[in-house]
Amino acid sequence: MLTSFIHRFSSPKSFVEVTALFFPYVMFLGVSCLVLGWVWGLAFAPEDATQGNSYRIIFLHVPASMLAQLIYFFMSICALMHLVWRVKLAAYLIKSAAPVGVMITFIALFSGSIWGIPTWGTWWQWDARITSTLILFIMYLGIITLHSSFSNAEKADRLMSILVVVGVVNIPIIKKSVDWWSTLHQPASISISEGTSIDPSMLYPLTISIFGMTLTMIALGILVSKLYILTREKNKKWVQAHV
Amino acid sequence: MQLVTANNLGYSINEKRLFHNLTFSLNSGCGLHIKGGNGSGKSTLLRIILELTSPSKGRVDYCKPNLQVSYLGHKNAIKHYLTPMQNLELIFKSSALPEAITWMHTLGLNKVQDELTANLSFGQQKKLALIRIFASQSDLIVLDEPFVGLDNPSRDLLNKFLQKKLASDSSLILTSHIEPNILCSELVLTDNADD
Amino acid sequence: MINFFFLEAFKLRHKLRSWLGPLLIMILVLIAFPLSIDISQYDLNKFYFSVIVVSLLMISFLATESIFSEDYEDGSLEQLHLEEKDFYKIVLAKILTYVFFIGIPMALIGSVFSFANGVSVSEVPKIFVILSISTLILFNVFAFGSALSINKGSMLGVLASLPLALPAIVLLGRGVRTVQYGGGFFEVSALMAGVALIVTAIMPIIISATLKTHLE
Repeated sequence: MLTSFIHRFSSPKSFVEVTALFFPYVMFLGVSCLVLGWVWGLAFAPEDATQGNSYRIIFLHVPASMLAQLIYFFMSICALMHLVWRVKLAAYLIKSAAPVGVMITFIALFSGSIWGIPTWGTWWQWDARITSTLILFIMYLGIITLHSSFSNAEKADRLMSILVVVGVVNIPIIKKSVDWWSTLHQPASISISEGTSIDPSMLYPLTISIFGMTLTMIALGILVSKLYILTREKNKKWVQAHV
Repeated sequence: MQLVTANNLGYSINEKRLFHNLTFSLNSGCGLHIKGGNGSGKSTLLRIILELTSPSKGRVDYCKPNLQVSYLGHKNAIKHYLTPMQNLELIFKSSALPEAITWMHTLGLNKVQDELTANLSFGQQKKLALIRIFASQSDLIVLDEPFVGLDNPSRDLLNKFLQKKLASDSSLILTSHIEPNILCSELVLTDNADD
Repeated sequence: MINFFFLEAFKLRHKLRSWLGPLLIMILVLIAFPLSIDISQYDLNKFYFSVIVVSLLMISFLATESIFSEDYEDGSLEQLHLEEKDFYKIVLAKILTYVFFIGIPMALIGSVFSFANGVSVSEVPKIFVILSISTLILFNVFAFGSALSINKGSMLGVLASLPLALPAIVLLGRGVRTVQYGGGFFEVSALMAGVALIVTAIMPIIISATLKTHLE
């Protein structure tokens, strides 16, 4: 019963039709929150006591870093769905999410490097958090490269899913790296178990930025997924009618 | 006695359908010759029967528990850096090795038994690969283009061997563009899978 | 499974380049490092472990490059799958054979070279232990990479599996540090052994699923 439920609501056709309905709203809300969060954070939030104005990159860096890990986690759930229940849509979503993950991880690394100059006096440190995020970046590239190496698309989907599931072991390592190793990187600013360590005047624009970036990336993911689904299913009648 | 049944088998690759709605069964002592043009899915069907490939639709059932299957596909499954003798030592357990060596002599490979397999001709390598079939005690023999590369005496030998196996209640499934000299039913795969 | 172990050992024995090649390359790399750097012996002692660790990483990948591709290309993998439905037993036997014939000698070479660069005789067995455990982890990880990219070239396999091998390198570095500077060797080696056991238990199952995907 569970299997038939999953297959009923996970057809690529349903995904394209359903997401078309709410995509404009998600994109609009995401961009609006992002703009609000950034304007608030860049223009109106107070200076940090130790870092001065250089801390303001937090409104880009923290959302990007969180999403870099979240996207991989989402991919790993899709990978499990594809491997266990053979859900085709799950494989399409992994393939679409990977380039988004590459982009956001690059933004996290780049913004972190920029922040490193005034804070640590260096662009780069072979620190646990930074190095493990760099490894995540390479893993995303590896997943994309692996999938594109096989002409048999179904085989490529399965192998990609296996790699994603195995690679998920890296996510807790990234997450906990600042706690397990003595690193230069600061601990998490927002923690579910330990609450937050930053002032509300900075926390609110940060939270809005995180929310906005998440929605924007979801919208971007929907767009990329739709294009990919239409390409993969191009021989189906519903795609020919849609296009 | 029924050995293998296939129900509504279908297979697609890259959204392209190779075959669909295939239903057949194979009894002990019977042979099945799968025919079709290039790219019609003959080798794929063999692999589905062997459970090496999963069908897109339908299923294959083995009616006899612990069915002993021997298979020779397009690839010979022999090591080129070993001699024929060493290859046989790798393939066969010590109890079955004497029979394999006898077949090696029968096929004339004893003259090259200590040469590297890489240096043998295509036909000699094929004969070496066929020893896996000759010396096995299997209920079901599955062969994909077994006659390719064989000289006439070896083809006759293979035909006689397969006839003998069918007579002793083993079953056979094969694909071959060269018509085998054995009595078996035919399954024809057409190229147009939308029919 | 013991039978598969002996069959793999038989194959490796006759394929000299597959087991001797990686060992010789490791020796060459370990020799090349001091030749390429003009620093005092004392400073060399401090850095040399990094070379051993990185060369172990590279040679592990090299050694497992064709662990499955050879059998896949010549059709032996299909025959093995028909013979043994519990495919992971074949995979486990292959990996353990490679660890035994190539990984353990690699660990021995690394230990001998560490001794040649200042480590005391009493510390050499500790180095051997942690290098041996590391080869078990690395061979499993790189075998997974080889299985993923079975007929697509080794570059793809490395790209897929190297990020997974780096946490193992971090652990190995920790272990080496306890030997160099003292403190916590048994804790770190116990952690490494635990990780190695988990990886050895799980990875063959994942690899067999990957190989079955290729066979399909």
